[in-house]
Amino acid sequence: MFSIKDAEFLFLAGINAMLVVAALVLVGSQFMTPYNFQSMGTQVPELGLLALGVMLAMISGRGGIDLSGIALANLAGVVAFQVAPVFVVLDTAPVEYFLTFSAVALIVGVLGGALNGALIGYAGMTPIIATLGTQLLFSGIAVGITGGSALQLGYIPVIDNFGNMPLWGVPRTFILFILIALTLAVILRFTRFGIHLFLMGSNPTAARFAGVRVKSLWFRTYLLVGVLASIAGIIIAARTSSIKWDYGTSYVLVAILISVMAGVRPEGGHGRVVCVVLAATALQILSSLFNFMQFSNFFRDCAWGLLLLLFLANTRIDWGAYLPSALWSRGESKP
Amino acid sequence: MLKKNKTILATFATSIALSYSGAVIAQDEQEIVTVVKVTGENWFTRMEEGVNAYGEEHENITTRQVGPGRADAAQQAAIVQDLISQGVDALAIVPMDPSTLEGVLRRAMGRGITVITHEADNLQNTHLDLEAFDNAEFGAHFAEDIAECMGYEGKWTSFVGALGSLTHVQWADGGAEYMSQFPDMELISPKNESFNDSNRAYDLAKQILRSHPDIKGFQGGSAIDVIGIGRAVEEAGLEDETCVYGLGLPRDTSAYLDSGAVDGIAFWDPKDAGYVMNILANKVLNGEEVTTGDDLGVSGYENVTVTEGPGEGKIVRGQAWVDVDASNWSDYPF
Repeated sequence: MFSIKDAEFLFLAGINAMLVVAALVLVGSQFMTPYNFQSMGTQVPELGLLALGVMLAMISGRGGIDLSGIALANLAGVVAFQVAPVFVVLDTAPVEYFLTFSAVALIVGVLGGALNGALIGYAGMTPIIATLGTQLLFSGIAVGITGGSALQLGYIPVIDNFGNMPLWGVPRTFILFILIALTLAVILRFTRFGIHLFLMGSNPTAARFAGVRVKSLWFRTYLLVGVLASIAGIIIAARTSSIKWDYGTSYVLVAILISVMAGVRPEGGHGRVVCVVLAATALQILSSLFNFMQFSNFFRDCAWGLLLLLFLANTRIDWGAYLPSALWSRGESKP
Repeated sequence: MLKKNKTILATFATSIALSYSGAVIAQDEQEIVTVVKVTGENWFTRMEEGVNAYGEEHENITTRQVGPGRADAAQQAAIVQDLISQGVDALAIVPMDPSTLEGVLRRAMGRGITVITHEADNLQNTHLDLEAFDNAEFGAHFAEDIAECMGYEGKWTSFVGALGSLTHVQWADGGAEYMSQFPDMELISPKNESFNDSNRAYDLAKQILRSHPDIKGFQGGSAIDVIGIGRAVEEAGLEDETCVYGLGLPRDTSAYLDSGAVDGIAFWDPKDAGYVMNILANKVLNGEEVTTGDDLGVSGYENVTVTEGPGEGKIVRGQAWVDVDASNWSDYPF
């Protein structure tokens, strides 16, 4: 007996496997090198973290979404770049520098997330409008600080190793991404925060009458989303050894696409971390496959749009109604 | 379970693939891929002509041009990363933002891929960076035209896209430096910022014409500055009294060149830049050195200057500006 959530998981895992087989048939040996898998692995985490953020926002319901993710990620990098040298000298203590850099970035993520949370949770603003506003605010501040130009971290072995070099054959940023995803999955499944979040996402009114402090819950959710964005910011800074306010402007839509592919319901109350991770890897394999096959990059944008619509339509259609009921039992909305 | 199957499948696939790979690599075709900032812009469509021309003229070399559908440094970096995985022989890159590519290009060079860049003289991880010309010389070139047109006396001003745009500021400074030899030339409110917006350039030019009705010379910075200035000059009916020169694209500026509101523009031909990047890539692949005074066989790059770059690489500069006025703009289809 399959439940809906198992079906989603198997579907996405199947897509991953199919894409790898397709790549083997269409491109061949070049695609199957360990180097290529490492290269794809380093590209997944920044987008994956933003997608996890979008997932949390969507689960929380009331049209939840986060458009400010990548702007906050870049702002976190910009501020950390300015503040970190005040505490640690880079040349003498690169490890401490990177730790300070990360700490400052995380603080910016907490503050930015708290702003989103306050606007959405306590001021009751619509998430799409509130995060559109903070997106402009965050990138505005980043432009103001940098004057619009890129900040050069330069070649710092510690940071570059973290961003680009694999550990036991797996990119370190990818390991970090998986660890964060695991933690998040545990939080959503086993803590009161997680259980209340799904309850609130399905029906905020019922949740409020059941004694859930919905405002505070929304606030904490968006705070967590902000933290995820700032971790993405640290990874971007490490990977590109630089920080720029408008890096990854196309990520906003792709992060939403990944969540929707993963079966996260924009209406709220449903979504799984493992599905988001699988959707992110599937999209990365597809994107690299397009590059290997020398497809036009306009075609990729078009394909992303089609995928988004297709998966949205998929969640709207109740396939269970077309199958014998013995095969299907509607799953509960749990992580 | 499924995941495990996938790994087994992948390992299996790899082993098959590896046994075939010998046959694929055995060809000694060299592959040079040019990565541009964004696909579909006229500038880079023109560059593609040069890239393709090089591939057609040379056997054993395949060339192609790719670029993101949107001007986003992240998308460009992703394309470069996938190209490195494909194991191309050389990359010729016009970076969206040079510093964001440092890490990726370091890995490319680490895997023995030749890296050529264009418009990125601050990039460290490159073998050769190609610049069409020395920026100060380019600015002086405009100033020369303006001074001659004005009869070496009168008021003039300069525009930049933004004070943060290094090249634009270098052009404005190079122009001012050249003008300083003529005592009767007066520079007023230099380096007006148009923010790459022709309406803003138009407003600024109108203000300047109002506060200095006797102004004669304008030096444009960003490619759209001359368009805004030209419109202001045309509205004021001062086509014959003023001298407007600057960077511009022939198609976009043609109307003002014909009316005389803009007297002349200069630019570097992206077709030649694309072609020369591939020449350089081929030279590095063959282990040839490029030194000052070399003739690369393309107009404007017949006597290149080679200087040390900020990293290991070198910077190759030509004198490849193309002057265009009302008489010859139609020769350039972009």
